[in-house]
Amino acid sequence: MTRLARRAGIAGAVALVRRAGSVGALALVFALTPGLAHAHLVDTRLGDFYSGALHPLTDFEQVLPWLALAVLAAFQGPRTARWVVLAFPLALAAGGALSLVLPPPPFAPVAGVTLVALTGLAVAAQLRLPLAALLVLAVGLGLLDGYQNGAAMVATTDRFLFLSGVTVIGYAFVTLALGCAIAFLAGVGGWRPIALRAAGSWVAAVGIMVLGLHLVSRGVG
Amino acid sequence: MIALAERAPARRAFRSGLLAVLALFCALLLPSLAARAHEATMAVITLREIAPGRFIGQWTMPPADVTLQPIFPAHCQWNPPELVCGERGLTGRLSFMGLGSKQSVATIRVVPREGPAVVYTVSAAKPTMMVASEPGTNLAVWADLADTYVNLGIDHILRGIDHLLFVLGLIWIVKGGWRLVKTITAFTVGHSISLAAATFGWVGVPERPLNAAIALSIVFVGVEIVKLQRGEPGLTARYPWIVAFAFGLLHGLGFATALTALGIPQATLPIALLFFNVGVEIGQLMFVMAVLALMWAHRQAQALLPRWGAAIPAYVIGSVASFWFLTRI
Amino acid sequence: MKSHSPNPALVLAGLLAMIPLSPALAHTGTGTQIGLESGFLHPLSGADHIIAMVAVGLWGAQLGNPAIWVLPITFPLVMAVGGLLGVMGIDLPFVELMIALSGIALGAMVALNIRPPLWVAATIVGVFAIFHGYAHGKELPDAADAVAFAVGFVVATGMLHLLGILIGVAVRWEAGAKAVRACGAAIGCLGVYFLLGAIGIIE
Repeated sequence: MTRLARRAGIAGAVALVRRAGSVGALALVFALTPGLAHAHLVDTRLGDFYSGALHPLTDFEQVLPWLALAVLAAFQGPRTARWVVLAFPLALAAGGALSLVLPPPPFAPVAGVTLVALTGLAVAAQLRLPLAALLVLAVGLGLLDGYQNGAAMVATTDRFLFLSGVTVIGYAFVTLALGCAIAFLAGVGGWRPIALRAAGSWVAAVGIMVLGLHLVSRGVG
Repeated sequence: MIALAERAPARRAFRSGLLAVLALFCALLLPSLAARAHEATMAVITLREIAPGRFIGQWTMPPADVTLQPIFPAHCQWNPPELVCGERGLTGRLSFMGLGSKQSVATIRVVPREGPAVVYTVSAAKPTMMVASEPGTNLAVWADLADTYVNLGIDHILRGIDHLLFVLGLIWIVKGGWRLVKTITAFTVGHSISLAAATFGWVGVPERPLNAAIALSIVFVGVEIVKLQRGEPGLTARYPWIVAFAFGLLHGLGFATALTALGIPQATLPIALLFFNVGVEIGQLMFVMAVLALMWAHRQAQALLPRWGAAIPAYVIGSVASFWFLTRI
Repeated sequence: MKSHSPNPALVLAGLLAMIPLSPALAHTGTGTQIGLESGFLHPLSGADHIIAMVAVGLWGAQLGNPAIWVLPITFPLVMAVGGLLGVMGIDLPFVELMIALSGIALGAMVALNIRPPLWVAATIVGVFAIFHGYAHGKELPDAADAVAFAVGFVVATGMLHLLGILIGVAVRWEAGAKAVRACGAAIGCLGVYFLLGAIGIIE
């Protein structure tokens, strides 16, 4: 477990240093990572707010498109991007609330993976989007992921706290990623957007392959 | 809230009115949040030794969650209420089944036939505890103690949304930099002093008025933010460390209620206090870093509140805190 | 609001180190964890994969603009196509052979400093990418957590590219360019060794 955590920490650290451009950041990540190996205690002891906050982060199908959405927004420049900070968490909360009243739509898993591929491709292509299109993407992703997190609640979960946690982490994650991406793009060097586009194409590759797996397994079953 | 309205000059009646509306809104929306603002449900089981290796167990504070059950070392037989451990006595690993979000902390109090009672606290974060016959000499027991109480401290500050809201208000006023370091340090010194004083029993404050006063301290910070935004820097803006220190004393008393509820024996009290405080500081530092990072990200994304909405966060902080104040008096 | 915070990068780094995947994954249970770990190790478990991926980065750096950015961006997408073939269980012939050949071919390109037009280079790399993706994709349906597995091998492959590009930056200096070509030659030789292994001449 520790080995894995540290390896994930290393991967995170590489991305960070490329983003923040700071060696100190790397040192700090390493300093903090070992302690985090047993940080899983957050899950149970801090109540349903923190369970809700942690839940999306355990799922690559949510983390990857969130990252891609933030980078895509950053490509559009701050004046367009900043609306994502507002729209995305609200959509997450709305999606979570919807999960309380509606049965799960059958297309949810495939839609989730499709969004991984789509957001990744959009980043790889460095797509120029009008504000409306970016907002549609942010709201769609927010609704779907809010719904999926909401559906993960069990009978004893405090709905209000759990969904607040999901909303807060969605806000914090996307805002931080957006801030990092904008700061990163503002630096000198033509390689910076390329590095982000390459990252986007990796996200797209994951999405395409897993989407294929979904479709194949559905065809078999 | 009422006290606040009386204090405020008449020309601010409109703003107070807005505050009242927001407070009402919060009262309708946030009852579940408020109810959990101080969530420290405890369960205590007392084991009284009646013959060597034989104990009678009894819940002195029954658990909120009925599924909670103690798990004793393998060589002990637990047929409630009797526990038979034989010649080896009650030594080994202790834990609880069913610790979770409802019941985060459970305590086993062992009253031996001779000598003082010993208390073992188990939390969901640290679900097992080594029981040794002499807890004073065993290094592993001390390590367990550190692990338990550091985690309890982190747990307490991160769950204590009222403390976090106060710290958020301080950051909002002081912004960042060296002044913030000094302010947070002053808050830390303040609450460490009063936490120690209350834990050792030098001062005692009833819990309800204390919690109300803590809520009022947050209202105060909210008012100070609004003042600052109107170009009238108040006491907090000019001397943040004084305010932070003074209210730190208050909040420390609040931390102490969580710690004293565990019923720690006098022998381990100083060390438990130290570790609990360390945990509180770690949690507080995590929160401060999170807030600063988010503020930085907002500036990068130019996602700042428009001028007409700049006072909204202060009013939200003030309203939530006013609501807490009203529910706590 | 003016910027007062001491070093935002540091603050952010600390925060991201707290939030992201390590603690989360440590707890989600074994599925995600095993999936990520096995996915990450999959490209690293075969030296033939490793040298070919490093060679892609080296060649891209050697070719300079625009190959240095076309290759890393398009490679994953082409690889995903190969992965899809693997996921669907389509039989692709000569996979081991092609992977070994990719090491030889790419190593030779770097060693001989061959500079074909971009589309030729892209096609060569693309064909090999399909086979590499296929080898990984075939494992996907059996993975404990498919997404985590995919993320794992994608991160590992991306880091190998990055390694190649970072070494390849040395082509700016004369001695560095020679060293890069030497690396290419070494990769080509290793590729020959793996090829002989793939067709069963050496065990």
